[in-house]
Amino acid sequence: MKFVDEFRDPELGRALAGEILALVEPGRHYKVMEVCGGHTHSIYKYGVDDLLPANVELVHGPGCPVCVIPMGRVDDGIAIAQQEGVIFTCFGDMMRVPGSDGTLLEAKAAGADIRMVYSPLDALRIAKQNPDREVVFFAIGFETTAPSTALTLKRARAEGLTNFSCMCSHVTIVPPLRALLESPDLRLDGFIGPGHVSTIVGARPFEFIPADYGKPVAIAGFEPLDILQAIVMVLRQITEGRCEVENQYKRVVPYEGNLRALEVMAEVFELRPHFEWRGLGFISHSGLKLSEAYADLDAELRFSVPGVRVADPKACQCGEVLKGVIKPWECKVFGSACTPERPIGTCMVSSEGACAAYYNYGRFAREREVV
Amino acid sequence: MTVVAVDRERGVALCSNDEGARSTVETALVEPVAPGDRLLVHAGTAIVLLTEQGDVAE
Repeated sequence: MKFVDEFRDPELGRALAGEILALVEPGRHYKVMEVCGGHTHSIYKYGVDDLLPANVELVHGPGCPVCVIPMGRVDDGIAIAQQEGVIFTCFGDMMRVPGSDGTLLEAKAAGADIRMVYSPLDALRIAKQNPDREVVFFAIGFETTAPSTALTLKRARAEGLTNFSCMCSHVTIVPPLRALLESPDLRLDGFIGPGHVSTIVGARPFEFIPADYGKPVAIAGFEPLDILQAIVMVLRQITEGRCEVENQYKRVVPYEGNLRALEVMAEVFELRPHFEWRGLGFISHSGLKLSEAYADLDAELRFSVPGVRVADPKACQCGEVLKGVIKPWECKVFGSACTPERPIGTCMVSSEGACAAYYNYGRFAREREVV
Repeated sequence: MTVVAVDRERGVALCSNDEGARSTVETALVEPVAPGDRLLVHAGTAIVLLTEQGDVAE
């Protein structure tokens, strides 16, 4: 398959693993964070970490869009969904994220009209088909998904749809990375930059990582050879005493990003002063809301929502997992009380969540178990 | 996904994935597109027009 098979070649994989081995200094421990949940998923699906020397550790970052949504936002979504005449739409993963009193899926089972959609355009179509109902789209995701929501809101405006609105929970990737770099809990040697977010924002927003914190970055694709090559690029920078943003994913990521997407986002969204992230707390200028020009399509202004901050369950350690402080198997409830079938924390819900990746690919402890 | 047909008036394209499943894709961010083009699609919106040569156009 074009663009796929050539990036899964076992021989090339072994060659890159050999390069990694040659680059690392014996006795030194290297911690490299893969920012994106898609990378975490690929690493465990393809066993990339099994090809790494023991002193190269991959630390999982906060780039899973479902995982970072706090419980209070789920409660807000359920509160809107339960209002008379509302059709509430969201991506499939969000349906199973626990709020303080259950999930959207449970609210649906209890009678709320909640529908899973593949894209915001599907939600818009539902609004056109149901002119006597209020259709709300629960928008989540990083800069990869935000342009899709923005274009849909522009379409709603252009088509004069008045029964469509958006509960905007989009987030941006740079502020949590800065928060992690400021954290005393975590010492990192470099970053595998997010591939798909970078298609939109480009590579330039990550230049602060080498400039301000002296850490190398390699933006990477999602195939096993992409990730191995990005690790080589990070380690080579360390070995050669260089520190910059490199782009391994040039077949998809232009250095300046997608200017049309950035333009439409700037028109439709504006930064919130603060946004709460699960496990990371409130981070300034890290969340998006609808701009004043689109405020009439803002579901949080159209409907009343509790807007209450809800603490995570005490047993759940998603926060530490999202910060890369602990591995999923170190969480007290991982694989016992918290499983993909009955998740307690968000990291076990989405396929991009680190806990789900570990669970689905047999990483119940430090060593792999045969499943 | 591969572009099968383009509806320029609506700014969308009918696209097919590698298993043959078809869906409507928003193309505003990568226009112009033509049948046969390969797109990277996220949440129903094409975010990159892929090229046979390798690197994307800067």
